[in-house]
Amino acid sequence: MIQILSGIQNTSAALDAEQTRLDVIAQNIANVNTTHGVDGKPYQRQVVVFETSLQQAMNGDGSAQMPAIQGTHVEKDSSPPIHIYEPGNPDADANGLVAMPNINMQDEMADLISASRTFEANLAVVKNARSMAMETLAIGKH
Amino acid sequence: MIEALFNQPNYLAANKALDAVVLREGAIANNIANLETPGYKRIDLAPSFETELERATASRDPQQIAALQPALAVDTTAVSSSRDGNTVHLENELMQMNQNAMTHALETQLISGMLSRMQMAITGKD
Amino acid sequence: MSPIPAINPAMSGLMPNVDMLQPGASPLPSTGIEMPSELGRAQEITAAQPTGDSFASMLGQMVSDVNGKQNISAQAVSALQSGQTVPLHHAVIAMEEANVSFQLMVEVRNRLLESYQEIMRMQI
Repeated sequence: MIQILSGIQNTSAALDAEQTRLDVIAQNIANVNTTHGVDGKPYQRQVVVFETSLQQAMNGDGSAQMPAIQGTHVEKDSSPPIHIYEPGNPDADANGLVAMPNINMQDEMADLISASRTFEANLAVVKNARSMAMETLAIGKH
Repeated sequence: MIEALFNQPNYLAANKALDAVVLREGAIANNIANLETPGYKRIDLAPSFETELERATASRDPQQIAALQPALAVDTTAVSSSRDGNTVHLENELMQMNQNAMTHALETQLISGMLSRMQMAITGKD
Repeated sequence: MSPIPAINPAMSGLMPNVDMLQPGASPLPSTGIEMPSELGRAQEITAAQPTGDSFASMLGQMVSDVNGKQNISAQAVSALQSGQTVPLHHAVIAMEEANVSFQLMVEVRNRLLESYQEIMRMQI
């Protein structure tokens, strides 16, 4: 396909990555109180891990190294669930402790804001590339 | 005669500046895409290009201008603000992107105007 | 969308009387009138100069320059269409330069034609 918008090869990977991150954060927030999941255990917080690689991109214009985001995968956070004393809860164990997902709302909200900001920034890059291409195509027209 | 038509210093300089602007757009896009990549160092236009372009334009020598080659390099003046060594600051990148977009608008207008004037001189009409 | 076809330098019909222009010859057709001495001397000078400076070679050079520009433009456009990463502004500017060069050549041809016709109209 024709490459009209140059220079934004890594931007779509970044947008994908941030979108995944936003989805995972939304899921974490939705499950903050899930003490009893499908497998019987409390919900395990999930994190997104970015896979990056340093590509040596030696173009004719002498570009330096262009690190690329290869992809993301979602992992389960390995931290243990926190225990809350709530004897009346049907999921309470013998000591009246309920295992709650180890999700801190403040952390999740901060992550959400940061992911949104990065996502918006990459969108702005795409918009800018498009308007520059339109200007280029208008060269010579009057 | 055709070569002389396009071998004007101003026209060549505008073309080289446009090359640099397009290259820079790719660098800034890459910086923003790697906003959260641990250890990533921001890249930008090699700082020597601007001085070279200024010198070549002042010399009014078409061959000197045509020989210029803009290139990208790791920005050594950027400092990291996070623990993982990433030197990209989003506000700075967005500001650079906006400035670059304005320069792009300027250069394309210049080149477009020069081509229009050539056409007008040749055909006598717009 | 087909790429811009390259100009065949030997394209006929665009350059009337090119074959008439021999190196060193006067561009004006012979009128049979005795030329004033200054003009005669000028003709001698042009006859003595090397072919590189003659009007015919200049025209030939222009045609091949325009051809070169059209080729560059066609190459850029086809590279763009085949998906290679050609900077868009290179392709666009190459197309515009090819356009302007072609217009210049057409105008030169028009003026030559006009001046030729004007001379032919001169009452002897």
